[in-house]
Amino acid sequence: MNLLRKKLLRELMHLKGQMLAVAAVVACGISVFVSMSSVKYSLEASRERYYSRYRFADVFLQVKRAPEFYRESVSRIPGVASVSSRIVADVTLDVPGLDEPATGRLVSIPEYRTAPVLNDLFIRSGRYIEPGKPEEVIASKPFLEANGLVPGDRIGAVINGRKKQLLIVGMGLSPEYIYEVQPGAFFPDKRRFGVFWMSRSALESALDMSGAFNDLSLTLAHGASEKDVLMQLDNIFRRYGSLGAYGRSEQLSDRFIVDEIKQVGIQITFLPAVFLAVAVFLLNIVLRRIVATQRDQIAVLKAMGYSNEEVGLHYLGFAMVPTAAGAVAGTVLGAWLGRGLMNIYADFYNFAELVYLFRIEDVALSVLLSFAAALAGALGAVRSAVLLPPAEAMRPDSPALFRPGILDRPSLQKKISVPVRIIVRNLERRPLKAALSVVMISLAVAILVAGRYTYDAVDRMILVEFNEKHREDVTVVFNDPMPPGVAYNLASLDGVLEHEYYREEPVRMSFGHRMRRQSVKGLQSGEGLQRLVDKMNRQISLPSSGILLTSTLADILGVRQGDKLQIEFLQGRQLHREVEVAGTIDEILGLSAYMHIEALDRLAGDGGALNAAYLRIDSSSTSRLYSDFKNTPGVGSIMMLKALKESFDELIAESMTTSTVILTSFACVLAFAVIYNGARISLSERARELTSLRVLGMTRGEISFILLGEQVLLTLLAVPLGFFTGIGLSALLAVGLSSELYRLPLVFSAYNFLFAFTVVVIVSAVSAVAVRRRLVALDLVEVLKTRE
Amino acid sequence: MQLNASGNDSHQAVLKISGLSKTYLMGEVRVEALKNVSIEFFSGELAVLLGASGSGKSTLLNIIGGLDVPSEGRLYFNGQEITAASEAELTAYRRRSIGFVFQFYNLISSLSALENVQLVTEIADNPMPADEALRLVGLSSRLNHFPAQLSGGEQQRVAIARAVAKRPELLLCDEPTGALDYQTGKLVLEVIEKVNRELGTTTLVITHNASIAGMADRVVRLGSGEVTEDRRNLVRLTPSELVW
Repeated sequence: MNLLRKKLLRELMHLKGQMLAVAAVVACGISVFVSMSSVKYSLEASRERYYSRYRFADVFLQVKRAPEFYRESVSRIPGVASVSSRIVADVTLDVPGLDEPATGRLVSIPEYRTAPVLNDLFIRSGRYIEPGKPEEVIASKPFLEANGLVPGDRIGAVINGRKKQLLIVGMGLSPEYIYEVQPGAFFPDKRRFGVFWMSRSALESALDMSGAFNDLSLTLAHGASEKDVLMQLDNIFRRYGSLGAYGRSEQLSDRFIVDEIKQVGIQITFLPAVFLAVAVFLLNIVLRRIVATQRDQIAVLKAMGYSNEEVGLHYLGFAMVPTAAGAVAGTVLGAWLGRGLMNIYADFYNFAELVYLFRIEDVALSVLLSFAAALAGALGAVRSAVLLPPAEAMRPDSPALFRPGILDRPSLQKKISVPVRIIVRNLERRPLKAALSVVMISLAVAILVAGRYTYDAVDRMILVEFNEKHREDVTVVFNDPMPPGVAYNLASLDGVLEHEYYREEPVRMSFGHRMRRQSVKGLQSGEGLQRLVDKMNRQISLPSSGILLTSTLADILGVRQGDKLQIEFLQGRQLHREVEVAGTIDEILGLSAYMHIEALDRLAGDGGALNAAYLRIDSSSTSRLYSDFKNTPGVGSIMMLKALKESFDELIAESMTTSTVILTSFACVLAFAVIYNGARISLSERARELTSLRVLGMTRGEISFILLGEQVLLTLLAVPLGFFTGIGLSALLAVGLSSELYRLPLVFSAYNFLFAFTVVVIVSAVSAVAVRRRLVALDLVEVLKTRE
Repeated sequence: MQLNASGNDSHQAVLKISGLSKTYLMGEVRVEALKNVSIEFFSGELAVLLGASGSGKSTLLNIIGGLDVPSEGRLYFNGQEITAASEAELTAYRRRSIGFVFQFYNLISSLSALENVQLVTEIADNPMPADEALRLVGLSSRLNHFPAQLSGGEQQRVAIARAVAKRPELLLCDEPTGALDYQTGKLVLEVIEKVNRELGTTTLVITHNASIAGMADRVVRLGSGEVTEDRRNLVRLTPSELVW
């Protein structure tokens, strides 16, 4: 075995604490990189494969009711590759074992599965429906699993006012519902929302839709212009109550996945960069110290005839070995984490087949990145080892240059004890090194703060969305707009304590050349059951005239307060109107446009209509009310705030917890690595000096104070800086993670800072104990006998 | 007692130094370590370079060993100019021709005695086996001890074994007994003398201890960077006969 290699390995073992710290930091960075890369590409691949295998459509359109023969005309639009028409309806379900009503989305499928269809079904278990059996349905997997149902079970549904028993024959999944969420909701509630595929003819007869459809999906030919096709479709279907055709980018499920992939992409670059930067720093200080203590060995090696390259490579090894170990550990950990994270994603996203892609390119790239970090970290020290003239290396290092500093003013000198002066002078002498140490410790603090920030943001989200903004118990959404008189019947139900209604009008908004499909929500007050609350939890009042837009929507449209927005109603009389932007509201979730309901009625030019009711109900009457709702015709879906909150907590909070735990552990590793290495290097640099002080009569406590005091001072300086950096990182994270679907509020709890501070204190204490053990064990005589 | 056998001029000059000067900066102080030194050393010779601390003897040794470059003047080794050598040529020169022994032994603490010697035999062209080198210095029973497990004298003997294992033409010893007690120092000098005698290696020993001069063929005294005395011993004493 090569002797230098043997020397390297033995000395690495000797420095194992410091080397492990470096390796751990590299491992954290690489594991984030590898896991997030694998998650990103796995999600992309799963999505791609699912979409192509099950023919996910490119363009979607919902209409009120259109004659079937239009399917033929659509297929003749240039650029359209294939078309499929369907009947889709939301109905109230009576699920066995569930008190409250659930919502089912019924989607028609051909009775005979002969020709390939768009948005095809993947039958997970059970079978496809049989012709001539109208009660048979295939139900979506998340719904069945959440309710403990299996093929063979029956479920009640109110279809077009008639109660029917549906027989579940299969468990299925569709690329259309990878993210399966109730219309109007943002988070999945698997127990209370499910998709059911049933025969076209059964739905035609149940909904009086024979010879007609209300939903169109189509794929585009290669190179076709989506924009042109959308325009043509809108022209054809305007008079059939079209809500406007849209592409995949507006398809809710796809939107969520694409955003998720984008967010994962941000994490691939962001966190590993921080960790590798810290690794570079650690390697730099550790290697410089090794080279400094081995000056004489370097000289001897050169005197023996070892070349500069051999010596340089030897010292480079001190960086390469821990980095390689970290890269290997990080890759393994990353592969494991990636797989674990994909399992969490599998809870959110219902892929027919979740592909786990562990790409060799990512491993290669991570190895490359870590070696680049090792090189960058080692460069200075290796260079100095190579350039060290052997004759000079034989001589001890010249004494460090100290100059009078701020504490050396005669007025201060008497007041400050020698140990404190030693601490301050040391920091003064190498301000850059001290500053870098502070920056690195502050990075660990910052990651801790940023790691817990998402927690605080989600807490705020829950507070605003589930407590402040919405105070109703139930939202009852009607299948079709109802005249106010009919809707008010709900209020007469026994047990309804408060009731409030809203109108929701699908419109096309435009300002200049910018256009957006959007629904306008007409509220009765904005201060009752639903209130308008922004992400900083401030209540915004509903303007009596004009329209209030979510800030993000206003940005998309490029409008400001006072601008005149063009509104084209997509239903009813389909009027083109103009409305003034009364203001904006920075909300957490989604894009919304609010108006006073009377202003909206006036704008729509009709006598008014209602789409849904918010109800606050007496808790003793809930089960009876639920059963009333289940049997009320015209009710399309029912949302329970409490249930939504629960499912939100379960799903989002769980995954947030996972990522917070990972991030927090990594930040702890980072903090420990930086603080421990800093103290170890200080000890190594100052052992002789400190031992001399012991010989001169200082106690162990006093020399510990000098050494650890410096570390404490650096850490204390780093904490506030880390808080600020953490806030900055969180702000970046908030921007990076924000989308049209949601925006994270920049809020921090005191607990967050306290937590970061506590972690740093504990980590410092542990490393202080480890270093003090070595300090106490210093051999007084031995240190003085050998030359520096 | 032994006759001076290697002092005659018929021996070839291994080292030829002419007009060598060295000035360097130490911190903010300018030090003139060597001033116009010219001297020759001959094959098989055991020379002692005497001088007080700061006399320039270590600087001279470092330049001879290719560890340092002079500010002025020339150095020839077997007729080849070392002062004109490139970095790579200097490395090769040290690797092939020079054996170093230092005052503080400078062993690699993470390698055993045997491994410290192998460090050299691994890169030398025609080395003696590492264990043989250690036997030569009387350490065949301590092959696998680490520096921390060896006494100062033993460490210095490992250093000598390490220096001679490559069969250098020139053995350079910088205060080899400086850190050792009287008895141990003598033991180390015996080893150096033995190497010179048995292997015929040209040996330069620098020391501030004038008593050691008795074991040399030739004594060169340096003072303030200049050669102040260059004489031959008529009689070369064995180290055991030295007293200080």
